Order: sequence, then C-alpha cells, then structure tokens
Amino acid sequence: MAPQLLIVLVFFFWPAITALRQSLYVQDAFGLGETFAGLANFTRVLASQSYHEALFNTAIFSVSVALGAMGIALLLATMADRVLRASRVYRTLLIWPYAVAPAAAGVLWMFMFDPTLGVLSRALAALGVHWDFRLNGHQAMALVIIAAIWQQMSYNFVFFLAGLQGIPASLLEAAAIDGAGPWRRFWTITFPLISPTSFFLLVMNTIYAFFDTFGTIDTTTSGGPGGATRTLVYKLYQDGIVGLDLGGSAAQSVLLMLMVGLLTLVQFRYVERRVQYH
Amino acid sequence: MARLELRRLRKRYSGSTDVLHDIDLSIDDGEMIVVVGPSGCGKSTLLRMVAGLEAISSGELVIDGECVNDQEPAERDIAMVFQNYALYPHMSVFDNLAYSLKNRGTPKAEIAQRVEATAQLLDIGALLERKPRQLSGGQRQRVAMGRAVIRKPRVFLFDEPLSNLDASLRVQMRQEIRALQQRLNITSLYVTHDQTEAMTMADRLVVMNAGRVEQVGTPMALFRKPATRFVAGFIGSPAMNFLTFSVNTLPDWLPRVPAETNEPLKGELSVGIRPEHIALTTLEDGHIEGCIELVEPLGSESLVHVRIGGHDARLVVRHGGMELPEVGQVTGLNFQGPFHLFDRHGQRLSTRLRLADTNCSMES
Ligand SMILES: Nc1ncnc2c1ncn2[C@@H]1O[C@H](COP(=O)(O)OP(=O)(O)O)[C@@H](O)[C@H]1O
Ligand SMILES: [Mg+2]
Repeated sequence: MAPQLLIVLVFFFWPAITALRQSLYVQDAFGLGETFAGLANFTRVLASQSYHEALFNTAIFSVSVALGAMGIALLLATMADRVLRASRVYRTLLIWPYAVAPAAAGVLWMFMFDPTLGVLSRALAALGVHWDFRLNGHQAMALVIIAAIWQQMSYNFVFFLAGLQGIPASLLEAAAIDGAGPWRRFWTITFPLISPTSFFLLVMNTIYAFFDTFGTIDTTTSGGPGGATRTLVYKLYQDGIVGLDLGGSAAQSVLLMLMVGLLTLVQFRYVERRVQYH
Repeated sequence: MARLELRRLRKRYSGSTDVLHDIDLSIDDGEMIVVVGPSGCGKSTLLRMVAGLEAISSGELVIDGECVNDQEPAERDIAMVFQNYALYPHMSVFDNLAYSLKNRGTPKAEIAQRVEATAQLLDIGALLERKPRQLSGGQRQRVAMGRAVIRKPRVFLFDEPLSNLDASLRVQMRQEIRALQQRLNITSLYVTHDQTEAMTMADRLVVMNAGRVEQVGTPMALFRKPATRFVAGFIGSPAMNFLTFSVNTLPDWLPRVPAETNEPLKGELSVGIRPEHIALTTLEDGHIEGCIELVEPLGSESLVHVRIGGHDARLVVRHGGMELPEVGQVTGLNFQGPFHLFDRHGQRLSTRLRLADTNCSMES
C-alpha cells in the first residue's frame, strides 16, 4: 500500500471512525463501560442551550475572521505587489517578516491587550473605552477575532501576493490604455484573475476558523467570559477533555465535521461558479 | 488621426545609464513609421514612453501640437497592440473589444454596434463568445487588433505584434495590418526587430541602435543609401558584405582616386557590397578568389558563402543560376557596383567614387 494512503488512513480515517463509533455510545461515570445509545448523544447536544450559543459564536467568529483576514491580506498584498513591480529588490525583504509574524503574534497580543499593562488598553482608556476582555463578552469576542485574523493573515498574504504577481503587467497596462483607472482596473482585471486564489483561501480560512483557532482562543480567553468566545471546537474540547463527556463530545465532533464538509460543498457548488480559471 | 512629435526624448532608468538618447522624430498624419533595431536597443521603451506607460526622463512628446508628457495613458487617446496580445483572459472576445468603450461610458446599444462592425472588419464575428484561450495565435492577433481599432484612437502603437506567429501567418498578418492601417488612415508607430517586416510595412523606417536613431527614411532610401555601416548591415536580406582595407592598400577594383573629398582619408575603410552585386566567375576573371564553404539553395536563387583567405571574411553571393556550385571549390568573385564606403567610425563616405576599370559611377 502506498505510504500516503497509510498516513491518511491512520491520521484521518481512524480517528474519524473512532469518533463516529464513540458518538453512538454513552460511557458510565468511571469510563469503564459503555452502552449503545443510538442517536441520544446527538439529540442531547443539539437540544442544549450552550451548543446553540457556541454555534452562534462560531458563525460570528468565522465570518469575521475569514473576511477580515482575507480583506486585510489582499489590501497589503496589493500594496506589496505595487512595490515589487517597481523594484525586485524588495521581494525577500517583504516576505520574511510575514513568515515570522504568527509566532510572535500571540505573545504580542497579550502584551498589547492586557487590561492592566497593555499599551492598547491604555490607549483605549484614553479614548473613554473601558477595556477588559475578561469581563466584557463583546470585547473578548473582538479580541479573539483580531488575534485569529492576525494569525491567518500572513498565510493569506503570501497566497494573494503570489496570485497578484502572477498577473502579467501587460494586462494592467492594456487596461490603463483602455481607459480604466486604478480602482476599475482592480475590480475588472485583478480581482477576477485572482479569484481562484481567493476561492482557495475562502475554503482554507473557513476550515481555519472552525478548527485551527482552538489554540488562539485557549491562550487569550479560554472561551470566556461566560462562554462568550466559546466556539464549537472549543466547546468540544471543554466537554470532552474537561467535562469528560466523551459521547457528547464525539457527537459534537461528528457534527462539526459534517458542518465543515457541508460548508465546503456549498462553497464549491456556488462560489466556485464565479471563479475564473483560465 | 494625429501628428506625433518626439523632441529630444530621453529615458534613464534609476541606477542605470541612458537607455534612449535624444530621440527626435516627427510622424505625419496617417503615416506608418516602423522602428527597427536589434533586441535591447530601446524600441519597447520608446513605445511605452509614447503610450504613457513609462515616464519621460527629458524631452517632449507632442500630439497634435499639445505636450502630453504628463498625461495618463488613457488621456492620450492611444491604442497599443502588445507582443503577447495582453487579451483579458477572463473576458469573452466581445468583452475584450467592448472594454475600452465601457470604461468611457459608451451607451450599450452603441457598444454592441461598434463591436459588431469591428468584428466584421477583422473577420472575427464568429468568435465573439469565446475566451482568448480558445483562440489560435492568429485569431488572438486579430482580437488584439480589434481592441485597438474599436475606439478609433489618434495613434496606434505596435510592439512586435507578429513575433509570436509562425512564418506564413506572419506574412499574412503583416499585409492585413498594413492594409487596415492604410484604410483607417491612423498614425502608427510600429516596432520590430525583423527587417523584412520593417521594409514591407513602413512608410518611413527608423533604424535604432543602442538607444540612438541611426537613420530615418523610406525603406528604399535606407536600402540604397545607408548612412552608417550599422544601417547597411541591418537593412537588406541577406545582409550586406563588408571588406576592410587600409586606405593605403586599396584594391584595383576600387577607385584609386577619391574625388571631392573634404579631408584625406585615414586608417581603415569598410567597403560594403550587397550579395546581389557579387558574381561567381572564373579564377582569371575574378577580382578576388575564395573557397566555397556553403551553398543554400532557395529555389529561384541560391546563397553561396565564400571564404576569402586574405581578409578572413566570408562573403555571401546571390547566385541566380540553376547549376549549384560545389562546396570546397575555389572560385573567382567579381564585384559590381554600387559599393558602399564607410570610414572607421562607420559613417558613410559622401565621396563620389569611380570604378577604376569600368566607367560606372557609384552611389554617392
Ligand atoms: N524597467 C527597466 N529598468 C532598467 N532597465 C530597463 C528596464 N526596461 C528595459 N530596460 C533596459 O532598456 C534597454 C532597452 O530595452 P527595450 O526597450 O525593452 O529594448 P527592445 O524593445 O528594443 O528589445 C535594455 O537594455 C533593457 O535592459
Ligand atoms: Mg521589445
């Protein structure tokens, strides 16, 4: 068997099947025995108030992160593309800070937004905003969104920049001669031509927001205050690892996988139609 | 339609020396000017400066009496056909043609009508729904032409538009472009490195070398009276042959007494002879002898390459006979005027010279 297949089997299908199996059983209190429960885990999870809240949080969070991280990255990439087209020397200079950024980001955010010590907290206080994400749920949500955007931006930036650099200069020059101003050039030439990149990033950012932001939320807010930043993946972790509700969290993970699968399907079916491959 | 004037145009990229030096050129209404020169001599740069894609370092660009140095490309009302066509890959042929009209807010009905007319003009009516990737090279070329034609610009610019086509299509397209340009009577600046293309299409030719204009004139004027050795070698195919002599040891078949010279000639002298002005002959009758190295039959004629021992030169002879000479054979060569003489700086010598043994006077 091909090693790649083996890896897929071990690291994806095996856990998936385990989760699927586990979601159909209930553990006893000591984790020693289990009994078949049918879809009971699913109905329990879907009926719970906290699951609905997590679902709502995830929706707000994912949309904000995907749009924010892609929008800002595209803006920065467009500016970088201008500079690079003017002079090639800057290329390496520009790429590497973006490659290093994510590692430094988490620590940086904590420094800047710390309610008592943070620079930005003080700046906000001067503006009359009382900043304390440990108490204010909206502020906490804003913080994790910003942190997640920052984390994902460099990834998006690199892809967007590569996409922009792939557009021949002569196309934009032809458009300029054809009477299109910079704004119109962007929307009628550049944007359609990088749509394959944008589409790919949309899928990747959705998956990122749903799954990969667990660490970001855990270090910044731990899902709080009062569950205000508890997204689906974070709730799954809390219920399973902390709450030891293995059946419930297995059901949640199955639901989460279904949801992301469905979302990706929808994106491929409806968004991809508007993508220009050439 | 417009008059175009380039006054001492100069281009310098930051951190490099001048790419273009004081280009002076004036183009008449409806005239087709072809700029020809080897790759890297600055042709594209010149064109891009006219289009407004490249800043003008110094000098003036004047269209219809108005200096347009500071105008954006769109304001100059110029159309350009790019070497790679630069068709918008995500738009249909219709949208490619309509793009410039849409940008200028032309009403929909008029756009449809003008696209229709342009498509008919260029015989691409059946392709309007297609994307550029679904077109052949020749069809793309037509669409690129259509995109330039459709908005009736004041000036056409062409940057080696035929270099991506195969040889037979190139011949066909150059005729079509020329016919279209004459029919629409649009002032045009056409850039190419191909001297045949240049000769056949131009009203006037501009030969460029290393960022400078070597000579401007009609194709026949440049062919008959090249101002520099560079032009002499560049215009005409196969290229002119050159033999170098010291002024003290001029051969018998060249005039001994240059008349009407302003100053005495010094140093070396280049004698240019076109391949059609050399004849293969017997050893006794030849002005010079050499060994045949290569014979290239072209059908109606053959190109015979002859190595000249003493000069370390290889001359190309246009040989009209149906009998092909043999490679390795030693042959005599007979030179017939006109000869082109250039001094050691490559400048044409404007002396009236006479052949020593015949009585025919040379081009002056
Ligand atoms: N953006 C640029 N920066 C620096 N030098 C350039 C740039 N573009 C072209 N050149 C130089 O200018 C010269 C002329 O180039 P170009 O106009 O493209 O020549 P051509 O079209 O005749 O082949 C070349 O030596 C080229 O290296
Ligand atoms: Mg060029």
